[in-house]
Amino acid sequence: MSSPSTDEDDAPSTVDRLAGRLLEATVLERLGIALASIATAIFIGLLAVALSGYSPLLFLNNLIVGSVGSERILARTLRFSTFFIVTGVAVAIAFRAGVFNIGVQGQFIVGGIFCTMSILWTAPLLPTGTVGGIGLMLVGTVAAAVGGGLYGALPGVLKAYADANEIITTIMLNFIAIGVVSWLVTNPFRAEGSTNVRTESLPENVGLPPIVFGDSGFSIVGVLLTLALVAVVAIVMAQTRSGYDMVTSGYQASAAVYSGVDAKRTIVTTMTFSGAVAGLASALYVIMFQGSFIEPASIHTYGYDAIAVSLLAANNPVGVIPAGLLFGGLNSSGSYVQTYSDVPVQLIDGIVGIVIVFVAAPELFRMAAERAGLGGDDE
Amino acid sequence: MSVSGYARRGVQLAGLAVVVVIVLAAVATVAFGVPISALERVVADGLDTLRRIFTPGYVARSMELAAPITLAAIGGLYAEKSGVFNIGLEGFMIFGAFFAAAATYFVGAGGAVHAWIGIGVSVLLTTGLTVLFAVLLIRYKADQIVAGLGVWFIGLGLVPFTAAIIWDSRNSPRMPGVGRVTVPGASEIPYLGRIVFDQSPLVWLTVLVVIGSWVFLYRTRYGYWIQAAGDNPEALDTAGIDVNRVRYATVIFSGALAGLGGAVLLAHSSSFVGTGQTMVDGRGWLGIVAYLFGNYNPIGAAAAALLFGGVDMLQGQLQTLNIDASPKLLGLLPYVVVIVVLTGWGKTQVPSSVGDPYESED
Repeated sequence: MSSPSTDEDDAPSTVDRLAGRLLEATVLERLGIALASIATAIFIGLLAVALSGYSPLLFLNNLIVGSVGSERILARTLRFSTFFIVTGVAVAIAFRAGVFNIGVQGQFIVGGIFCTMSILWTAPLLPTGTVGGIGLMLVGTVAAAVGGGLYGALPGVLKAYADANEIITTIMLNFIAIGVVSWLVTNPFRAEGSTNVRTESLPENVGLPPIVFGDSGFSIVGVLLTLALVAVVAIVMAQTRSGYDMVTSGYQASAAVYSGVDAKRTIVTTMTFSGAVAGLASALYVIMFQGSFIEPASIHTYGYDAIAVSLLAANNPVGVIPAGLLFGGLNSSGSYVQTYSDVPVQLIDGIVGIVIVFVAAPELFRMAAERAGLGGDDE
Repeated sequence: MSVSGYARRGVQLAGLAVVVVIVLAAVATVAFGVPISALERVVADGLDTLRRIFTPGYVARSMELAAPITLAAIGGLYAEKSGVFNIGLEGFMIFGAFFAAAATYFVGAGGAVHAWIGIGVSVLLTTGLTVLFAVLLIRYKADQIVAGLGVWFIGLGLVPFTAAIIWDSRNSPRMPGVGRVTVPGASEIPYLGRIVFDQSPLVWLTVLVVIGSWVFLYRTRYGYWIQAAGDNPEALDTAGIDVNRVRYATVIFSGALAGLGGAVLLAHSSSFVGTGQTMVDGRGWLGIVAYLFGNYNPIGAAAAALLFGGVDMLQGQLQTLNIDASPKLLGLLPYVVVIVVLTGWGKTQVPSSVGDPYESED
């Protein structure tokens, strides 16, 4: 380890290997590993429920009823799913390019406060009707992408030009985003006379129409926008020059450099793109669901769970859709469990962690499958 | 390691030494009342503020806060030296703090003896968990970074879950600490007495671990095996040493020390906190940065951890001096320091085979 220039290949090479291993696997094998990870994690969760003296069958029932049990619950599941899908895509962009963006949570929070405040500050300048509302939403969406993008670009620049490990810097930046935005929301940006820690509410004309589901916090338009974003990202990654540069840098860093890719610039571009998408997730969160910005420490850890979502999907933007739906269901049932059962809801976060550990070790299931006489022709 | 590698390392260690000397000089000047009558009034005011900040109590408390970070850092350093990036330190610390709290609680939570039992049980249980982690990483070649993150998430989920089942709340009731060991007479020595001879025994233990791990790593045959497992595993294999066995040992050791770090954190606090990021609150991550900053040297890592402990303690100190700053924003100082440190010191001597599973040719 003498030449400094090889240092930066260390981190990508591990993602690269994981992704490579998952890519070598057939689609069926990949699906098998994802399903086996989830099933084993849920089984361990049920075991924990049983050990703590509750009924695992009741808990399993709560998981299912709590994710698809009624129209209202289904709307909640889909709402959560859109957040997981968009943040999952943000993670997938970075992981595919061999950059470990663990900072999606921070980029989400910064994007969200940019979105909220830009709408609140622009609102007096625009007319109050639908046209003004659309204008405000556009302003908020752009601001969210800019905020998230800049907050993603920062660790990108630090990695590219100062060789600072992006895993650590993005995690630190998550802590900093939570702290600073929490201070902002508690002090200068706090709604006047509000007992809760939150900003002023967005104007009436900002929000997505509640069509199909009559739920004020969810709109089918949000799902359509999510799907459109996934399509755009998939096309950018597969069809454009910069997308191609990102993906090659992820799989074959040295080859990318030899073919003329500016490795440092690609890292910054990737992180900016990834952060901007995380910001868009937050725009959806603020405009469709929350209607203001709340204490960031109490926002669900979409950005962290998104890592599991992306890994389950083998970092494929389209594969993020089913993985995001699964996480939407899990979290929706979390709200249900919290209300209708005594089992502490943190168990669901634990199950997510176990899924991540299993996804990290595809070899485990491959060996188990070989032993059981399934497949095993990959040796 | 090449010549430039040695040079770089020399520069970094020298830089670290300069920082430490400046801090110590400042402390000594303040403590022993080096005559200030000759100095400008402004300087006197500045020194007065410094003296009020760097009280013996402040330094002693900073060492208490630094101890858990130091222990995690040394564990992580050993694992990474041998070629395994244990990014799960934060998670193992959460488990360590919780196991200590739960064990102390179940034996009665009556006094220092129970706190010590808690620490012992916690190290055993965390070590057990790390064995599973090591098998996953080494035998099943799990991706080290992703699996490590998974451990963190499991800690953030399952620990508050179990805490809520035991205590009906994610926080524990009040826990006994281990107290301080006061050496009669010696503790009366001005300044140093409070820091050295009226100190938590766990700080002494940490100092012993730091010195011991430095000697082991740089002065014994096993230490060279560890370094070779990370830098040149093929050579170690050729010499007839099982690389993976070395790595099992270091990864398990890293988990044990992270667990001890969590347990020490608990012993220096009044109760277990399982809300939000839990009471560990990023200290495992600080541990990783501490050993990067200390360039994989246990003593350097301990110095960096002391810096983080001091910065962490600074917020309380500034508040008692009525220096107006939001505690929420001041609390972010260590994280900002980390980013600055990584940016300035990003290039460390990363062992060349970190992250790669090793497969013997035969």
